[in-house]
Amino acid sequence: MLNDYTTASHETQQPQFDRLLQFMGGDATVSMAENSRVRSLGSPKSNLCSTDKTRFSMVFKSGCSFSNITWLIAVLYSFPLWSDDTVEYNRDIRPILAKNCFACHGQDNASREAELRLDLRDTAVSSEAIVPGRPQDSELVARIESEDPELRMPPNDSGHSLTKSEIETIRQWISNGANYQQHWAFVPPIKVPPPKVNNAEWPRSPIDHFVLKKLEEKQMVPSPQAERAQLLRRVSLDLIGLPPTMDELEAFLVDKSDDPLGNVVDRLLESEAFGEHWARMWLDLARYADTKGYEKDRHRDIWRYRDWVIDALNADMPYDRFTIEQLAGDLLPNRTTDQILATAFHRNTMTNEEGGTDNEEFRVAAVKDRVDTTIQVWMGLTMGCAKCHSHKYDPISNGDYYAFYAYFNQTQDTDTEGPFWKTPTAAQAKKLADWERRIEDLTARAKKRPSGFPAALEKWKQSLDSPRLWETLDLANSKSENNVDFHQGENGIIVAGGKRPAKDTWTFYFDLPQAPNSTPVTSFRIEHLPQSMGGGDWPDANVAIRELKVELVEIDGTSRELKLANPRATFSQQGWSIEKAIDGKNDVGWALSPKFAEPQVAVFDLVEPVSSGQLKVTLDQQFGQSLLLARSRFSISRHSTSWLQAELSPNLEQVFAVHVFPMTMKAYAELAAAQNEVKKLRSSIPQTPVMLELKEAKRRKTKIHNRGNFLDQTDEVSPAVPSTFGTFPENAPPNRLGVAQWIMHRENPLTSRVMVNRIWARLFGAGLVETEEDFGTQGMEPSHPMMLDWLAVDFRDNGWSIKQLLRTIVMSSTYRQSSRVTDEQIARDSRNRWLGRGPRFRLPAETVRDQALAVSGLLSHQIGGPSVMPPQPPGVWKSTYSGEDWKNADGPNRYRRGLYTYRKRTSPYPAMITFDAGSGEVCQIRRIRTNTPLQALVTLNDTVFIEAAGALAQRMQTAKRILSDQIAYGFRLVLTRSAEPAEIARLVSLYDSLEFDQASSQQWLSAARLATGDPKMVAVANVILNLDETLMKP
Amino acid sequence: MMHHSFTLQHARATTRRHFFGQAGLGVGAIALQSMLSGPIQASQTNYRIPAKAKSIIYLHMAGSPSQLDLFEYKPALKKIHNTDCPQEYLEGKRFAFIKGTPKMLGPMFEYKQHGDSGQWLSELLPNLAKVVDDICVVRSVRTEQFNHAPAQLFMHTGNSFLGSPSMGSWVTYGLGSDNENLPGFVVLASGGKTPSAGKSLWGAGFLPTVYQGVQCRTDGGDPILFLSNPKGLDRKARRKTLDALNDLNRLQHQQVGDPETITRIAQFELAFRMQVSVPEVMDINKEPQHILDLYGAKPGYISDAESAADPRILYKGDDPTFANNCLLARRLVESGVRFVQLYDWGWDHHGTSPGESVDETLPIKSRQIDQAIAGLLTDLKQRGMLDETLVVWGGEFGRTPMMQNNQRTELVKGFIGRDHHPHAFTMWMAGGGIKPGSYGQTDEIGYYVGENPVSVRDMQSTILHQIGIDPHRFSFAYQGLNQRLIGPTNEGRVLRDILS
Repeated sequence: MLNDYTTASHETQQPQFDRLLQFMGGDATVSMAENSRVRSLGSPKSNLCSTDKTRFSMVFKSGCSFSNITWLIAVLYSFPLWSDDTVEYNRDIRPILAKNCFACHGQDNASREAELRLDLRDTAVSSEAIVPGRPQDSELVARIESEDPELRMPPNDSGHSLTKSEIETIRQWISNGANYQQHWAFVPPIKVPPPKVNNAEWPRSPIDHFVLKKLEEKQMVPSPQAERAQLLRRVSLDLIGLPPTMDELEAFLVDKSDDPLGNVVDRLLESEAFGEHWARMWLDLARYADTKGYEKDRHRDIWRYRDWVIDALNADMPYDRFTIEQLAGDLLPNRTTDQILATAFHRNTMTNEEGGTDNEEFRVAAVKDRVDTTIQVWMGLTMGCAKCHSHKYDPISNGDYYAFYAYFNQTQDTDTEGPFWKTPTAAQAKKLADWERRIEDLTARAKKRPSGFPAALEKWKQSLDSPRLWETLDLANSKSENNVDFHQGENGIIVAGGKRPAKDTWTFYFDLPQAPNSTPVTSFRIEHLPQSMGGGDWPDANVAIRELKVELVEIDGTSRELKLANPRATFSQQGWSIEKAIDGKNDVGWALSPKFAEPQVAVFDLVEPVSSGQLKVTLDQQFGQSLLLARSRFSISRHSTSWLQAELSPNLEQVFAVHVFPMTMKAYAELAAAQNEVKKLRSSIPQTPVMLELKEAKRRKTKIHNRGNFLDQTDEVSPAVPSTFGTFPENAPPNRLGVAQWIMHRENPLTSRVMVNRIWARLFGAGLVETEEDFGTQGMEPSHPMMLDWLAVDFRDNGWSIKQLLRTIVMSSTYRQSSRVTDEQIARDSRNRWLGRGPRFRLPAETVRDQALAVSGLLSHQIGGPSVMPPQPPGVWKSTYSGEDWKNADGPNRYRRGLYTYRKRTSPYPAMITFDAGSGEVCQIRRIRTNTPLQALVTLNDTVFIEAAGALAQRMQTAKRILSDQIAYGFRLVLTRSAEPAEIARLVSLYDSLEFDQASSQQWLSAARLATGDPKMVAVANVILNLDETLMKP
Repeated sequence: MMHHSFTLQHARATTRRHFFGQAGLGVGAIALQSMLSGPIQASQTNYRIPAKAKSIIYLHMAGSPSQLDLFEYKPALKKIHNTDCPQEYLEGKRFAFIKGTPKMLGPMFEYKQHGDSGQWLSELLPNLAKVVDDICVVRSVRTEQFNHAPAQLFMHTGNSFLGSPSMGSWVTYGLGSDNENLPGFVVLASGGKTPSAGKSLWGAGFLPTVYQGVQCRTDGGDPILFLSNPKGLDRKARRKTLDALNDLNRLQHQQVGDPETITRIAQFELAFRMQVSVPEVMDINKEPQHILDLYGAKPGYISDAESAADPRILYKGDDPTFANNCLLARRLVESGVRFVQLYDWGWDHHGTSPGESVDETLPIKSRQIDQAIAGLLTDLKQRGMLDETLVVWGGEFGRTPMMQNNQRTELVKGFIGRDHHPHAFTMWMAGGGIKPGSYGQTDEIGYYVGENPVSVRDMQSTILHQIGIDPHRFSFAYQGLNQRLIGPTNEGRVLRDILS
């Protein structure tokens, strides 16, 4: 086999190499390759020209920041990396040490034994555990080889032990100088030119070079290109999650242009269904659900966030903006509603509404979830374990965890749903804007005063001399249960005096004044007045009138209650609205905090007008805390109730214009109607939980939680990012926005790789790094490291365009390969790690559903909006105390895409969870695909699939007349290909063999939601929808 | 008619995803585990140890029954009944609902000693008293959680937050199941509601979804969701459609060569067999009358409580739903199901609303389970199955020796309750290599553990140990950790003193 190395950078220069080599003290290299044989370090010079080899290496310096890593990696070498007798740290040694030694001799201070650290070369050497070049003198070797059970490492009770060959490998490595390496994923990626390949015809795209190079090395050949129709189905399912339509198939098959696939890809990337499909992937990461989790698991309105994701993906929002807005949109200068909406990403954490829970406990849990999710989603690392102790394997200490946590520990939410933000949909926002413009016009129009207005106003005002608009009532008699004194001044203000009791009930008697023509009383008014307006001993305080009762005492002494209606007030305390003062219940009533030091007015209309007698007014003020009316005035009016607003000093000009003068009245009526519409519209605008930062004065201090226990907090920490992954970008603000900028910094080694890998995995079934969730030292190495880095850099440097990234991949020869597999391929590469064939795997849960609905013609194409409830068997929801029901949707919402199916965390939709969708409890990095009998039961028997079979059968029979044509048509609809004669024959024979009597026919059709139809064809359609090929990406 | 070049065996041996499919209902986890994820896993196959039990029946009383009114005989508590709770029990404690100074609440029921062992039991468990020499009462369990959902999750998944696999998922992941036609982990629920933590209690967490518990429903619907063919399509017609489906899939396999297709054929066939095997095992009509009577079971009974908005007010002592589930549990275990989890809701007796008091509701709930559980133990024993079946009983925590005082401080009939108590409570185990007797003690009023404290981790360790899994070595690599049921630390220990 040939030696492996390459040169990749024009910056490569011999002198730098020498300097570095001296600096590093040896062959400190990072191999990006897996499974390679190693040759000894040769002359770099002699290899500089060997640019066509696939191995490359980088020099690193442990723990360096972005800036010094940059100059180090600017220098790339080509020299043989390894040989048969050389051992490589990352590949050979770290796994042994990590498994057997690091738990006690790693970076975790708390669990370190004998003060020995083996994860750093410095400490391992200075402690003489390792003497480079001299295994026989190394204590490490002595211990692992010791026969004495007291001395032997790892200790017997650890459950670990080293094999002979592992010990030999360690000896070899120490002999060679015991060189350590930085983990590949912690060094920023660089783009190397694609390697040369023997078969120059095959590659279309740079990535094909990397793939083919690997295949050629393995002495494998790529598969031929997939058939056109199959390719169309594959790329449609991949990019928009829906199969192609008949028309799209026809158009593609006859497209004679140079680039028919390119045209299709462009069309799909422009389709709005694109955002819906890829949103699913992102919502798994965001742990999106429509409920709050835990015991009650009640409904949560957060679907506007889902809309945001769909829109952002459809607009191809660059991944850096996409990231920053979700993590810190609220902290952006001149933030928009959409940017704040984006932060709902981290409000998908759960809240616990179970009675008796400690809110702080679950607030802390939510913040920790945000920390873990952020690092998982963007950097493919696991931080969770550092909550309790320093990470055993990756460079994240316990202190690092809480320092990073500190950035997220400053939001306003406290295991409660708020804070909320009004997040109108685009349609609502437009409607609102339209209405607001209209209100502006109407206001301007209403303000105009026609020429006859002033004279008419004067005349009207004069008419108010008798009776006046409000007539103050004179106190005839009064009663207090606690002997409060009352004194009425000339201005009619009743001042309470004497000792102020904690609670009291007062009764005031007022003689109704005489009125011309016995004009009846229409309304009753109470004024609360501050000390500045009426004097008295009692200082201003809140007032709580739990209940108000007004009675009419007739001359003969009999009394009857006067019903009050239409209560209105200048102000009411939250939860103590004016209506509650006349609701017949002595619980809460009308109260004024915090505005009790200002005058306040309440007005009530009399349901039945009265003209004479005495009014008896009872005020229940039995709240406690002395919340009593200190200064009050009572009045009545005999005028039209529409004139009588709760106003301190009624603006007569306004009253006249709005209620009396016909020409202005009309404009005001229109304005009021418009304002009412706006009010309705505003209250229908969804309120979404969002991230908002605490005010400066309310910021929390962050302390380390001892062993993760929030009740046991120790040292205070300042916010910081984990040091291994570079310093905080200069000029970045020290908050979540800064964190987002740090994540998206071009030298962050992980962000781009992780996202590129994730996209790759969705297309090929497995990531280039198969452990998508773990790019740390415990994760798997990439199958094609240089291709991963090529894609990562390309993604980053091309404006972080997800659509462009997808285009690059799906246009490649690699992607276009047939997924047909031979025995030999299975024997050589059963899991297709070397990509010698096209991807073939089961469709995700939502796509299984969406495809059935699409091919049967049932699918609703409505985009966005609240979640819907397609049919689910009765009795699936039986949640404790939530009082919420699943109601099967009728109409179009029955057939929306799976993305919109209501997601209840503690009772997920059965068909989805059976096909490996998650429940949104925690961030789900990848779904592990399974193949189970329960899945078969879903596609055979679940309502949606039976209804799809019914609609599909009808489509088939409407389109064609002859049975075999109908079946062929069904095949084409579902599988985008012509059926083989054998396939048609088999389904024809099924059709002929089926028998339905009258009753079973009716039942089967009605299960398929058909009034009439052909039960046999429904059964045939049910088979087509259950074909392996149907469920698989071709 | 159609030839295919692969035998099933061949296909089985070749691909990874294939194993996923099979592992769900049989082959077991070892093959799967080695295929699952590449990174270093400390424990691949070394967690298997000799098993004492073949299967587990876990009876969880969701809401948590009062140990002080069922198992814990505390004369000293009776003496201070209705006096103020000493401050030492209140300071620095977090309670779910108790505020201020509550009154002590003595046992509400009479206690007697039973069996050769002289075990104290309250009058609410007369039938359990007859088999008390078969169970090991663990009196000194304590937990870290005092709210339902987190405590239930902690008990069953080892993590108080959502997202970790259930014990049943762990066990089937580790051992597989002995019956290819039935799920390995079955859940039966009664009491009208799912437990507070919902279906997450039997979720597979980060394990593949094949390991999630399959809820077999007994409330009139399909025993397993989507099990029945739609009305109008009978079994003969289904067979014909599956024959056609299989033939077409074989043709597809011939063309494309993906062994996954062969797996799919097998899974559709298994689904077809389950359509018979599941209703069969779920049909307790097949049991003779004396067995039904032993449990107090009534075939076909569908309780009103099962579909009520608030089932608690409908509870009746002779409701046979739980008894039916106990009988089903035996049938399932007999058929080779590895882990049967029963949840019975309605044990949260705070005394604040109708249907949740210690004085009135607890006797009703106790009647629902007492004969059923005694019947289950007797039946397992008479069939020689008790030795190889581990039966576990408990709630998610215990209840306070104080009366809950949030509504009223006086004792009112039907409204006497106790708050959540994590510091000491009772669970019991039987069969599966557990030595009958009792273990652990609480102090004289049952507030704290007196001797031999038992943590939830200890219980989990012991359960895994009895089923043949070393709890310390049994792990799954996820999020950079070797995740274990018993958590990351080594605090959990097997309760060797109670093993026979």
